[in-house]
Amino acid sequence: MNPLLEQFLSEGRDFLQGIGEKLMALEKAPDDASLMTELFRLVHTLKGNSGLFDFPAMTLVLHAAEDLMDDVRSSKVSYSQTLADRLLDAMDFVSMQCDEIEASEGIASPHSDHARQLAESLRALRGQGTATVQAPESAVSVSAGADMSAWDRIPTDQHALLEDALRSGMSVYLIEYLPDDNCFFSGEDPLFQAIQTPGVIWRTAFARHPWPELAKMDAYACNLGFLMASTAARADLDEHYRYMPDTVKMIALQARASVSQATAVVTLDAVREQALRQILDVQARILALPVLNESHLGRLRAVSNTLAGCLRASGREGELGALMAATQRAIDETSGDVLLTGMHRLFADLLPDIVPIAQSTLDAAPDADQEVRFGRRAEDSSGASRSLKVDQVKVDRLMNLIGEIVVAKNALPYLAARAENQFGVRELAREIKSQYQVINRIAEEMQDAIMQVRMMPVSFIFQRFPRLVRDISRKLGKDVHLVLEGEETEADKNIIESLGDPLVHIVRNSLDHGFELPDVRKAAGKPAAGTLTIRARQESDRAVIEIIDDGKGIDPEVVKRKALEKGLIDEAALTRLSDQEAVNLVFAPGFSTAEAISDLSGRGVGMDVVRAAIERVNGAVALESVKGQGTRIRLSLPLSMAVTTVMIVESDNQLFGVPMECVVETVRVPSADIRTIKKSMTTVLRGRIVPLRSINRLLGLDAPPLTNEQDEYAVLIVRLGDEILGLLVDDFRETMGIILKPLSGVLAGLAGYSGSALMGDGTVLMVLNAKELI
Amino acid sequence: MKRILIVDDAATVRMFHRAILEQAGYEVDEAVNGIEALEKALLDPFDLYLVDVNMPKQDGFGFLRALREQDLQQAPAIMISTEAESADQMQAFEAGANAYMIKPCKPEVLLMNVRLLIGEINA
Repeated sequence: MNPLLEQFLSEGRDFLQGIGEKLMALEKAPDDASLMTELFRLVHTLKGNSGLFDFPAMTLVLHAAEDLMDDVRSSKVSYSQTLADRLLDAMDFVSMQCDEIEASEGIASPHSDHARQLAESLRALRGQGTATVQAPESAVSVSAGADMSAWDRIPTDQHALLEDALRSGMSVYLIEYLPDDNCFFSGEDPLFQAIQTPGVIWRTAFARHPWPELAKMDAYACNLGFLMASTAARADLDEHYRYMPDTVKMIALQARASVSQATAVVTLDAVREQALRQILDVQARILALPVLNESHLGRLRAVSNTLAGCLRASGREGELGALMAATQRAIDETSGDVLLTGMHRLFADLLPDIVPIAQSTLDAAPDADQEVRFGRRAEDSSGASRSLKVDQVKVDRLMNLIGEIVVAKNALPYLAARAENQFGVRELAREIKSQYQVINRIAEEMQDAIMQVRMMPVSFIFQRFPRLVRDISRKLGKDVHLVLEGEETEADKNIIESLGDPLVHIVRNSLDHGFELPDVRKAAGKPAAGTLTIRARQESDRAVIEIIDDGKGIDPEVVKRKALEKGLIDEAALTRLSDQEAVNLVFAPGFSTAEAISDLSGRGVGMDVVRAAIERVNGAVALESVKGQGTRIRLSLPLSMAVTTVMIVESDNQLFGVPMECVVETVRVPSADIRTIKKSMTTVLRGRIVPLRSINRLLGLDAPPLTNEQDEYAVLIVRLGDEILGLLVDDFRETMGIILKPLSGVLAGLAGYSGSALMGDGTVLMVLNAKELI
Repeated sequence: MKRILIVDDAATVRMFHRAILEQAGYEVDEAVNGIEALEKALLDPFDLYLVDVNMPKQDGFGFLRALREQDLQQAPAIMISTEAESADQMQAFEAGANAYMIKPCKPEVLLMNVRLLIGEINA
């Protein structure tokens, strides 16, 4: 995609985000003038940006939004809930257009009707007196005639083609074909109809309404619209569309007079002369301004330099000396008059009638008006932060490189040991070691610094919730108060991003199924408004996010019944389940407690998907619920995925890594304590039966597990989901942080390993994937 | 090579103007507000300033006033705004602009004005 467009979209999304936040903040503090100013500035700048491109619908809507905000700011219109709703709708539309532009690499489908509706609804809020739209030179001229708007609907890069056709004497019709929603039932085939249109030289298809979510989509309703340019005769076109006259509009395109290139070339000199004259006129007005302040001399010099530019541009370099002399005298006298007279003489041919008008115009400008205008642009204090947008690939590359340094530096202690033991130079060994300390410190700091770059605050995903909760709870007729805590908690970008969808899902679930309607709540003796708390905090090296609602909670009996109906569990197992265990059945694949699939949370995905998504980034989900009191879901996630801590174990003289997150403890079990029940080994650990597996057996190694001198086995207790299991290994080694590289190529098929890591001495450590292995 | 400073808080606008100006063979630098612009101008004055009105921290008027107060080779400045009213224009000229253009400006019009102000024959 064109980098400029990319920039526009990325910046535009930031602005939309900001606008949304400001609007939400204003709901709480509708009188905050600085918020209002900032909101206005965002809308204003976004409109300005969109004007650079050919997105008439977007600019139209933004323009209306800007005008409305200006009125609100100047207290002509008061801020209201409806106003916020309309503005949010408008911003959603703009956001949707951004998505479309991105998907289609630069073409926004017209949506002109929708845009016009939005713009009108915004303008309606401004009241009568201010309903006029002025869009002087912007890309969208609302006031332009029918033909102009016809051209506006065609992408600019197609204009040349159509203009060529017109120049060669052909008639060109712009055909807008908007099939009826139910057209399929009347035997119409819109796509075929459009494709078969005679004489088409350009065409495009677009969605007439924003595409609904897949679940809500009516496959039998036509949502397409077509826009085509055809050189066929009007009679042929009428014939082609004879059965659907109501859905087709045709406009004969007229060649546009002013901008065609041929005429531009001819009149370029004239245009330039006009521009030059205009610049001179402006300088004359500046020179006539009263001397007010410190900047007067600077202004004089700038005018002089501008005039020098004009002299050079119009081939009168010879007069530069005269200009300098006039400038010097003007500066000496602190007055523009000398320069004004001089300029009159120098450009006499271009300016037969310079009128020093400025004085009067300035006086005539009413002060009040000036005041208002000034306010509109008044600088505001919230500055743009000095941040840099960096492509993630670049950060990833840094991350990989630092990973290599971390590994490479680990070779130094080995080198020191060799220097001492093999070559007997202890002094050198010591120096290598001390140098290693230095490199180690720098490498660790560097690793930390790079990881910091990838860290993002959870506010990145939290910020969507105020709007989400507000919209959904309103839709459901519920009253829910959202509390966000610990938004500044940080975690790795990948983690944060993977958290987004599960969180949205949990929140939707909670709003849809968790909270009761206000009446029900009151009847149950609770406050009518429910409270949804989303809280983030850091707990050692994990980020913990809790979603707490004070809704009706989950009824274990309902869950049990459901699970039984769906065949997820048998009757016998059911009776043994505690209530807490029953509640956790909602995580079972294929479980959904919703009686009817609603369009909010029941989209065929349940809590099992949430759990899978969280576990993919080595996170864990826990759910507690008390019937009638509410539900608490706790997500625990690693802060970073860059470094994996593994425990190193030895087996059959080989080293293996086991990720620490599944290691519970290490124990030595006397061989006498191991029993064989139904052909599998078990032991009893603190009153609990723990099944044992030999790691050699799992890996297909023939050697039996070894014991130490006291005839004890080394047992690594690991947690697999809710199960606890002991792995018999030969010995334990240290734990260490490694950079885990997934296996690639033919090795990628080995599910028993989650990857490999390079050790300091250059050997490769295989890291086991305990879950797959067993 | 003539040097031009673009002063605008909207990155898209900066990029747009930069593309136009660089294609025409100018050296371009950018500033996101008046304060940064003045710092850059003091360090190494430019041959032309392209200034937006509405910016955080210090707006275009404030920047131009501050610029014109300096003892510098005072290069021409173009103020770019969305307002077409004459009161706004006068305010810009008073602050120290030498030309006033309405956003979004057509590339060829912008270039023509830039060339005239800088003083190039092939305008």
